[in-house]
Amino acid sequence: MEQLWLYIGIGAGILSLGVAVILYFWVLRQDDGNDRTREVAGWIRKGAASYLKRLYLALTLVAVVLSFVIAIVFSFDLTAIGNGSADVRPINGFIMAVAFIAGSLCSAVAGYMGMAVAVHANVRSAVGVSDNLNKGFRIAFYAGSVMGLAMVGLAVIGMCLIFLLTGNPEIVLGFSFGASALALLAKAGGGIYTKTADIAADLVGKVEVGIPEDDPRNPAVVADNVGDNVGDVAGMGADIFDSYVASTVAAMLLGFAIGGPDQLKYTIFPLILCTLGIFASLVGIQFVRVGKDGKPGNALNFGTIATTVIFSILVALLVIFGGYDFSVLWSTLIGLVTGVVIGFTTEFFTSEDFKPVLETAKVSDSGAAITIITGFSYGLLSIFPSIIGIAVATLGSFYISQASEAVTGIYGIGISAVGMLSISGMIVSSDAYGPIVDNARGIAEMAGMKHEVIERADVLDSAGNTAKAITKGFSISAAALTVLALFAAYSEVIEARGVSVEISLRSPLVVAGVWLGAMAPPIFSALTMLSVTHNAFEMIEEIREQFREKPGILAGTELPDYEKCVRLAAQGALSSLILPAFLAVGLPLLVGFLLGPDALGGFLGGAIFTGVIFALLMANAGGLWDNAKKYIETGQFGGVGSDAHKAGVVGDTVGDPFKDTAGPSLNTLITVMSLVSSLFAPLIAAFHLF
Amino acid sequence: MAVHMYLSLIPEALIASMLEPEEFGTYYAVGTEKKSRGQAIFFEIDPKFRSELFRIEEALERCVPHDDGSPKRSIYIAIYRVLENIPLKAIQKLYLTTQDGRTLGIEPTAKLPKEENGLHLYREVSPVPPLVVSTLGPKSFYELIVKSPTSLVKVPAICFAELRLGNLATDPLHGDVGDLPYSNMEHLRKCLVDLKTKSVSTKMVDRLPTSGIPYRTIKNGFFVGNEEKLIHFPLPDEKELVEKHYRWWRSATM
Repeated sequence: MEQLWLYIGIGAGILSLGVAVILYFWVLRQDDGNDRTREVAGWIRKGAASYLKRLYLALTLVAVVLSFVIAIVFSFDLTAIGNGSADVRPINGFIMAVAFIAGSLCSAVAGYMGMAVAVHANVRSAVGVSDNLNKGFRIAFYAGSVMGLAMVGLAVIGMCLIFLLTGNPEIVLGFSFGASALALLAKAGGGIYTKTADIAADLVGKVEVGIPEDDPRNPAVVADNVGDNVGDVAGMGADIFDSYVASTVAAMLLGFAIGGPDQLKYTIFPLILCTLGIFASLVGIQFVRVGKDGKPGNALNFGTIATTVIFSILVALLVIFGGYDFSVLWSTLIGLVTGVVIGFTTEFFTSEDFKPVLETAKVSDSGAAITIITGFSYGLLSIFPSIIGIAVATLGSFYISQASEAVTGIYGIGISAVGMLSISGMIVSSDAYGPIVDNARGIAEMAGMKHEVIERADVLDSAGNTAKAITKGFSISAAALTVLALFAAYSEVIEARGVSVEISLRSPLVVAGVWLGAMAPPIFSALTMLSVTHNAFEMIEEIREQFREKPGILAGTELPDYEKCVRLAAQGALSSLILPAFLAVGLPLLVGFLLGPDALGGFLGGAIFTGVIFALLMANAGGLWDNAKKYIETGQFGGVGSDAHKAGVVGDTVGDPFKDTAGPSLNTLITVMSLVSSLFAPLIAAFHLF
Repeated sequence: MAVHMYLSLIPEALIASMLEPEEFGTYYAVGTEKKSRGQAIFFEIDPKFRSELFRIEEALERCVPHDDGSPKRSIYIAIYRVLENIPLKAIQKLYLTTQDGRTLGIEPTAKLPKEENGLHLYREVSPVPPLVVSTLGPKSFYELIVKSPTSLVKVPAICFAELRLGNLATDPLHGDVGDLPYSNMEHLRKCLVDLKTKSVSTKMVDRLPTSGIPYRTIKNGFFVGNEEKLIHFPLPDEKELVEKHYRWWRSATM
């Protein structure tokens, strides 16, 4: 029966992928407007393609090098390392390397599909919205669904296929590491790219020269729009792909550790949840329609809730009729509900309907310093509901599962993470919708479409921003539970080799590990944000030079050199990834080989706790500053041009790399660190200095 | 190529140019190699206008295309005290250019806006640029400054705009500020309260405002007057600006 579920999983993955392909071609069949809209969209498409080409070239090199390392390392059979023996089996290394490459490839293909459709859908959504709001919305959402469905489809096909062929969840860990390694580079690179272009375009265009957003005279306008795609479509997609796979494989490893007659049953259970999640997402997407109220945000929320309900029913039926222990149902539901609740509580801190944003906007009248202090303080406070949610989910799922005789408590935590992420198909669809409508608005502006079209595109854009904020809260919380499960999986993998792990704060090695781990997320954040400022500085000089050397640009008689800004952003983003990548992969290995498995356990604990806190703080504070500025722009507290607005712009600019570069990349950082540790755990158990 | 004459108000200057008004606005606002930049407000002057005070013919002779055929952008005919020496009948259209070079042309009208109750906020443009609050409507304010023989403060000609005060016009102490972007709002409130509590009809809020004129806060347009008469250049309402002049309006609301 379990084998059958693997085939069903592969079938569901193919179905999901098939629907994604059908939607892709449906989007391509939509009207892309006139020569001008096509020309503008062509600039963005070209810029995105050029970045992706460089990114994937760099990723190929990284993947090849890492796969060689993995092939060599895993050629040593370290199963009995605790007993002092180790055989050489090159086939094991080869299989692990193939799994790693497959994970990288699936993540890359999902990201590429998302980007490929986004850069065609943006212009079509802009043209669609010129007919009516619903048409523009439908094109953008279905294009977003291509990303969502392709992502879950490829992930489930990959995981099911590898487990079907090898029967070993540790090999699926290799698949997950491949996906995560690529996700880290795609997310951090995309985040650096998008904010470099955004900040440079705004600081010179809006502040110095006084030209509006998305004005075609701004040399960085195309890079800015390309950035929306590489950061928020490919980057965010890769991030959730990584959490999705990592949470599943962590739960599989913990299920495998249960042992006994139900070992296979509970090892495969996370894959079954993903499969049901695909079916729920496929149905849930059908519920996403703009109603008579004309509110796209409500349509997206309704789709998410519908998917959640459908998924819950399917899991309940599975547990009841499949003979699973009821604790796994409760763990799944705890994770699912916690994810949705955390996602929506994020809205409290970032929406202009609530106190944090309103107060930050109000105090902006007193200057940028107060704006920063208030926003930062609310960002810190925003940690509270998410951490409580994560704690409740952790305790609830642990103790419910612990009480059952069928599974372990820690398995319950792993399942709650999978439960949270199993509706990723729908979540990513809503998230990818955001940058598409953002681009649509930009194209409408650049192509000189009527103001009614721009106003309608604004309505779509606003819903996209909210969806983006909800997804961030959701993905950070999911990553937190995922890494907790991976943390447990790390211990299981080590102990399976006959080496006991004791992570006690009474051990100086563990304490040293905790400190080093706690240091990693802030250092990573600093590196990525400094990359943004360095690259933005260069781009600002370039934009100024273009305005200086070609006065016709501002006069509207000469075209700027968009290509140069696109090139600068891409080069800057990719060259900035070396140190952060080393931090993610190299530092845990260094700690592990030098200080040993206990210290590495402490390292992971430290990294997880500061990583989650920093990620929540940065994502929410950044979103809050952004919306406080937008609220002032609606005419409150003096509106555009007022002192409050100037302070709001400063807050927004500070928050940009918080929310779109460092914050969301931290999820991936802690996942990669946990995966590297779990993957290399057998080797670390065998060779360490202390 | 026809030669135009423009009366710039920021700074006050009479300029001959081969550029059309929209092109001149862009040139004047976004600059060229000379790096002169910023908001521009100027009138187009009747090309037949001549005056002994200005060496117009000499300037027009110099206003010829460059060697490469491109139009001559500007020949300065005069600076300082220009407005007071140009008869209002020579003033044709008013052009408002945003900081990024979008230009809007406004036709004059003989009809003045209806006097309203409440307080008023004026941004003088020429000859000096203070921000002033007053109990007087635009016509009375103009008369006080230009025509009243009893006033100590008197100028031969003036150009000013009335800016929106929103609720502050009727309730300066408690009125909601709304989307008014003026800096130091408390000082503005105090000046308005003074008008209500003291026996003064005008009060200076800001001697030398550092920013330009926020076009989006203009209430009923610009006024230009001398001892002869007062002309009104009404700004179209927001709906019309959004529908017919979207690019300009978007820049103006930056």
